[in-house]
Amino acid sequence: MSAILQASAITKRFPGVVALDRVSFDLVPGEIHALCGENGAGKSTLIKLLSGLHPAGSFEGELFLDQKPTSFHRVTDAQHSGIAVIHQELALVGELTVAENLFLGNERRRRGFLDWEKTWTDARELLAKVGLAISPDTLVRDLGIGQQQLVEIAKAIARDMRILILDEPTAALSEHEVQTLLNLLRELRAQGIACIYISHKLEEVFALADRITVLRDGATIATINTAETDKTNVIRHMVGREISQLFPRHISHPGAETLRVSNLVVAPSADEKPFLNDISLHVRAGEVLGIGGLMGAGRTELMMHLFGAWGHRLQGEIFMGDQPLQNRSPQAALDAGLALVSEDRKRYGLILDESIGFNFSLSSIRNLLRGLLIDQEAEAHANQKYFDDLQVKAPSLETTVNTLSGGNQQKVVIGKALMTEPKVILLDEPTRGIDVGAKLEVYELINQLTTDDRAVILVSSELPELIGMSDRIVMLHEGCISGEFSREEATPEKLLAAAMGQTLSPVTS
Amino acid sequence: MKKQFSIRDFSLLLSLLAIWTFFALAAPQYLSARNISMLSVELAITATLALGMLLVILPGHIDLSVGSGVGLVGGIASVLVFNHGWPAGAAFGIAIAVAVLAWTLMGALIVRERIPSFIITLGGLLIFKGAFWLVIGSRTVPVAPGGQTNLYSLLTTYYFPPAVSWTLGLGVFAVWIIMTLRGRARRKALGFTVDDKELTFLKLFLTGQALTLTILLLNQFRGIPLPLVILAAVALAIHILTRHTPFGRQLYAIGGNEEAAFISGVPVQRIVIGAFMVLGGIVAITGLMQTAYAGASTTTIGDQMELDAIAACVIGGTSLRGGRGSVIGVIFGALIMASLLNGMTLLAVSPELKLIVRGAVLTLAVWMDVKLTKR
Repeated sequence: MSAILQASAITKRFPGVVALDRVSFDLVPGEIHALCGENGAGKSTLIKLLSGLHPAGSFEGELFLDQKPTSFHRVTDAQHSGIAVIHQELALVGELTVAENLFLGNERRRRGFLDWEKTWTDARELLAKVGLAISPDTLVRDLGIGQQQLVEIAKAIARDMRILILDEPTAALSEHEVQTLLNLLRELRAQGIACIYISHKLEEVFALADRITVLRDGATIATINTAETDKTNVIRHMVGREISQLFPRHISHPGAETLRVSNLVVAPSADEKPFLNDISLHVRAGEVLGIGGLMGAGRTELMMHLFGAWGHRLQGEIFMGDQPLQNRSPQAALDAGLALVSEDRKRYGLILDESIGFNFSLSSIRNLLRGLLIDQEAEAHANQKYFDDLQVKAPSLETTVNTLSGGNQQKVVIGKALMTEPKVILLDEPTRGIDVGAKLEVYELINQLTTDDRAVILVSSELPELIGMSDRIVMLHEGCISGEFSREEATPEKLLAAAMGQTLSPVTS
Repeated sequence: MKKQFSIRDFSLLLSLLAIWTFFALAAPQYLSARNISMLSVELAITATLALGMLLVILPGHIDLSVGSGVGLVGGIASVLVFNHGWPAGAAFGIAIAVAVLAWTLMGALIVRERIPSFIITLGGLLIFKGAFWLVIGSRTVPVAPGGQTNLYSLLTTYYFPPAVSWTLGLGVFAVWIIMTLRGRARRKALGFTVDDKELTFLKLFLTGQALTLTILLLNQFRGIPLPLVILAAVALAIHILTRHTPFGRQLYAIGGNEEAAFISGVPVQRIVIGAFMVLGGIVAITGLMQTAYAGASTTTIGDQMELDAIAACVIGGTSLRGGRGSVIGVIFGALIMASLLNGMTLLAVSPELKLIVRGAVLTLAVWMDVKLTKR
């Protein structure tokens, strides 16, 4: 079939970098075309070109729409051509209803006034199309992320789009929501809608895509039919090297207990119902404790509470060694030897407009003093050490963090935590949204930490990662512990069952 | 940290030259030694207040009450000295303590009760203004009884004699050279980028030229005025505070991303309250200087000074969203504001037009800030 959208020999330069180097790409109607590549490979840049964010003239090469040369000067040009982009950050207005959001900027009207009747009926129809069983007058802020995403897609359908571009749509979705989304995309495909699907999760890519295009370092490496390839092959294309062992966890020799939590009951605030119930767990030096569970199970809240950044404790105790931890603030937690790498690095991890060095030393700055003033030499040396150890790919310590790729930003967050020399390090989704190569580096780092007798608590939504990297796994379900498994016992089936609260006993087989 | 010189600084220099050229042509006495001396006192007052403002804008807050505070502090000191016969030093102590206390309280309300600083300080603007008028009984209260001089009146009438002026100037320049060269060598040793030799020399040379010229002019009148030395001390203190202490580092972090700063162990509330506390002290110093400059406390002292301070910050490259700004930029911004206001006074521009120009400059500066922050 002939291409609906085609990019031919696209070269896009930024000052000092070639982001895309003669990239070619084509999309045929009724196909799902996955775009794979490490962060920094050029996927986002390509998407920005296709959606008009990088206007015509800012790059070399040509775009064809229905085989006719075309140029997008602004985002609305692409929208009018039937291209819709669903970004990771959703573009919905929380305080408006679903129906109002669906027709935002595209209002149903009659004689210049809003036609509420048509708004409601059309909204119902659209919601049915995407399989959302909610009332159109629900406020968007009351929806989960998965549902909001479906609203975004419905909104695109309302604009008669022919090409749907999804950028990491499942990063924040639960297993069930992912399945709903994949099914919807298959249905849209059957209706002849073409879709560009960007994801780091190869399982989804293989379950969904007809073709896969792999980008690496701004160049097209290959476009392959999914049926004729496998994951290993795609990963090899992406990283340019073999990854024989995806989860290289060393066998550990845990030492003394470092952190103990007993019968913890925590509410969001003093006058609310408990959200975490009767949580008891411990982690030993040199050990990786995995914590799993579905979205909303309380994993992040538990980490944030341990770190003194969330919730009101109603009951229970936390001990670091034999010292009780009052965790009134992150500052106190850091002083006690805890460090947190948060799941949302842009929101909780980084000062994006500041340099790598500024971010590295932020948590440790009070320990880098000479008298009352910052010892700039000591600071620079400490920064340089973590810059080198973590192999941050950047021109220098003075590079602004927001110019880095996701993986390198994550390294900066990790470096900041490590510089405080913590005894226990809490890693909340440390590999979310970073590429395969950087993931491997994070895993190696976890190994290194446990070799140095640090204790690691690893929160992850990806079951293979959880099983591959943890020595022990605790599963959470609706704020309670729903199962604990040793490395040997853990299987994806058992963990998923525990995550859904179906069994409390680890020995079922 | 960030590069300190950019096209923006260059454009600041150009606007400054344009302003000076315009006023020099319109009123030849603009560049007279006498007027330059007055301009330098006005600069010192505006810049000192703006440097305090910088401390609360860095973590993303704002203070609309500093103008009223300036009036109130000066009023308290004047009443104590003139009506009650207190020695000026003791009156200064009370006035400064009141300001520090009031600003600490406002800071605490802002961060602990999460009331936007805009509202708290808008309330402060009215409350301080009312308190000010109560204190002086809405009358004119001189800073020194019956034409005498005291510490209060000397604040803006004392000049360092020429010899001392040269020594001061040379001293400052020598420290400046040493700091520049040492900083450069240190950065080089750590492998950071530095200006090349020629540019470093050029900058030092131009700084030296400007300094010499300024002292020459000031000495033609009466010498370096005391407020200029106060400004230098405040500027040095704020520079060290923002660039070389954890407190300053954390101010930038809070402005850059408050949530991330909190998770990184920054005691956000304490730091912001601290910033307001220091601002309180600076408001007091400015209030004493401004009132002394007017010779007496009157109901209009401090009017619109908050706007000049904010404008100076923004013109000097401080981002109103927080996280960006520098001492040298703010001083430049204040120099532009002071040059404009002084020039307009000299041309006897009507108060109506003066207000309009002030408002236009503030709007223009913020617009530029928005343009440059977006990208």
